[in-house]
Amino acid sequence: MTAPVAVASPPAAPVGATIAVDRVSKWLGPVVALSDVSFSIGPGVTALLGPNGAGKSTLLRILCGLTSPSQGSVRVLGANPRTDLGLRRHLGLVAQQEALFEQLRAFDIVALSAGLHEVADRDVAARGALGLVDLDPDDARPVRTYSKGMRQRVKVAAAMVHNPTVVVLDEPLEGLDPRQRLRMIELFVQLGAQGRTVLVSSHVLDEVERFGSQVLVLAKGRLAASGDFREIRDLMDERPHRLRLRSSDARRLAAALMAGGSVVGTHLESAESVLVDTTTVGAFRRAVARAAAAEGVRLLEVTPLDDDLDSVFRYLVGR
Amino acid sequence: MTLVYRLLLRSLVSRARVVALVAIGLVGVLIALAIRAADLVEADRTVAITRDLLGGYGLNLVVPVTALVFASAAFGDPTDDRTMVYLWLTPLPRWRLVAAGWAAALTVAAPVAVLPVVLAAALAGADGRLVGAAAAGAALATMGYTAVFLGLGLLVRRALAWGLAYVLIWELAVARISKGAARLSVSVYSRSVLSAVGEVVKPRNAAAVSTSLIVLGLVILAATALTTRVLARADVA
Ligand SMILES: Nc1ncnc2c1ncn2[C@@H]1O[C@H](COP(=O)(O)OP(=O)(O)O)[C@@H](O)[C@H]1O
Ligand SMILES: [Mg+2]
Repeated sequence: MTAPVAVASPPAAPVGATIAVDRVSKWLGPVVALSDVSFSIGPGVTALLGPNGAGKSTLLRILCGLTSPSQGSVRVLGANPRTDLGLRRHLGLVAQQEALFEQLRAFDIVALSAGLHEVADRDVAARGALGLVDLDPDDARPVRTYSKGMRQRVKVAAAMVHNPTVVVLDEPLEGLDPRQRLRMIELFVQLGAQGRTVLVSSHVLDEVERFGSQVLVLAKGRLAASGDFREIRDLMDERPHRLRLRSSDARRLAAALMAGGSVVGTHLESAESVLVDTTTVGAFRRAVARAAAAEGVRLLEVTPLDDDLDSVFRYLVGR
Repeated sequence: MTLVYRLLLRSLVSRARVVALVAIGLVGVLIALAIRAADLVEADRTVAITRDLLGGYGLNLVVPVTALVFASAAFGDPTDDRTMVYLWLTPLPRWRLVAAGWAAALTVAAPVAVLPVVLAAALAGADGRLVGAAAAGAALATMGYTAVFLGLGLLVRRALAWGLAYVLIWELAVARISKGAARLSVSVYSRSVLSAVGEVVKPRNAAAVSTSLIVLGLVILAATALTTRVLARADVA
């Protein structure tokens, strides 16, 4: 078991940690959903980033006590989320599934959540929580008529109605349009600034960028990296990139780039097209234009071949 | 807790379910009419009503099936439609969720199970005492079966199939043959109450009324404890 490649490794159990995960593994039948994951986080927004199947939902479910780890231990506000029921008064979860009480109105659902969390004045709390996500508490329609974005907001309101200290959100930006995303991200940032611990999962790198937050990268059940967003981004830029260059003279351009030292390998595909490997993608992008001009080669197209998130994660895990 | 009760109750009342069970209830009416039409002397009639209608059809079929349908759905439905997570995240102790689920299942199952049995008994020509016995037996059996089947919806995916297998194999076959098994049979105890109150033929492997009541109470307590344990350890998606 290799240690996670912590960029700015948080100390093992820093004072003020609200969520502490210690060597947690989880098997689901033959599937290893989580493997020896350790981290701790405090108040503020933390993004849990990872491709589909990485184990994000499993980890978040363990943090909320919906299932138990096969190995290792988890503390949320110092309590065991599986057995300390009182913790649930301070914990809000936006679960991944779309499921809601379809025949109920948004207000009823949020008020129900307030009641289930033993909030004293349910109606006031429900109105407040719906206001937080810009939903109308007097809407008479059942949520089954709601769009995906509105349903997502109902779920967030239901998770916030009891004013929890720790808020866990499993892919809450899924299905939202760009404007709703921005609005939702603003809300997370605001909740974090209020001193709450906000843990948000996502499989979209660019979403996470906007959180301006700490990032945990999960891949294949392992904690692949952790740090603040810029550090993660740099780490990803350092990895080998492969790009396809189309130009009027691929051979000539490739030779110039090799000579210039900004690529580590080339593979000629045709007279017009060459694949190049580079480990300094920023420097490469500047060099390629210069080289083309110097050689009198017309540059037609530069296509990154592995800029998708999966290859980024593969790189982080493989290191 | 009343909140949980109302929530579970609302999801239990689905039209398809009620229609299916009312159909089973109508079968009872047919049996009742058949007994009435048969040319029987008074004593034979009482025996026939008790044995065929109340025992065979009512306590062996309507009551367990009704209890099974509603009780296994109380937590089975929220698990299937994935709304269980909302219930799960309440800080309420788990036994209170189970108690609310039992009460909700009973609220729907009791009228659906007891009414057709009582109605059929009356139609077949049973006297007041026997009708009362039928109501008492059916109500007690409903309480017992509901408690037993509540946890089944949490434990297994196809709770209806498993529940039917249990009713057919254990309650209707094994518990009749074996005296030991009869001690662990809801049906035998509820039919014992029926026969004692109605002063009619006893079921095979019958128990005393006081024993029956105590045992049914214990069955309900034990089933509730077990369901609480299963709920606390459930994996919620
Ligand atoms: N109930 C389950 N049974 C078996 N395997 C599961 C179950 N739930 C998830 N998995 C597997 O566990 C791994 C992690 O899943 P998940 O936590 O949902 O990842 P993510 O949320 O990052 O997409 C995946 O390989 C998935 O297929
Ligand atoms: Mg997931």
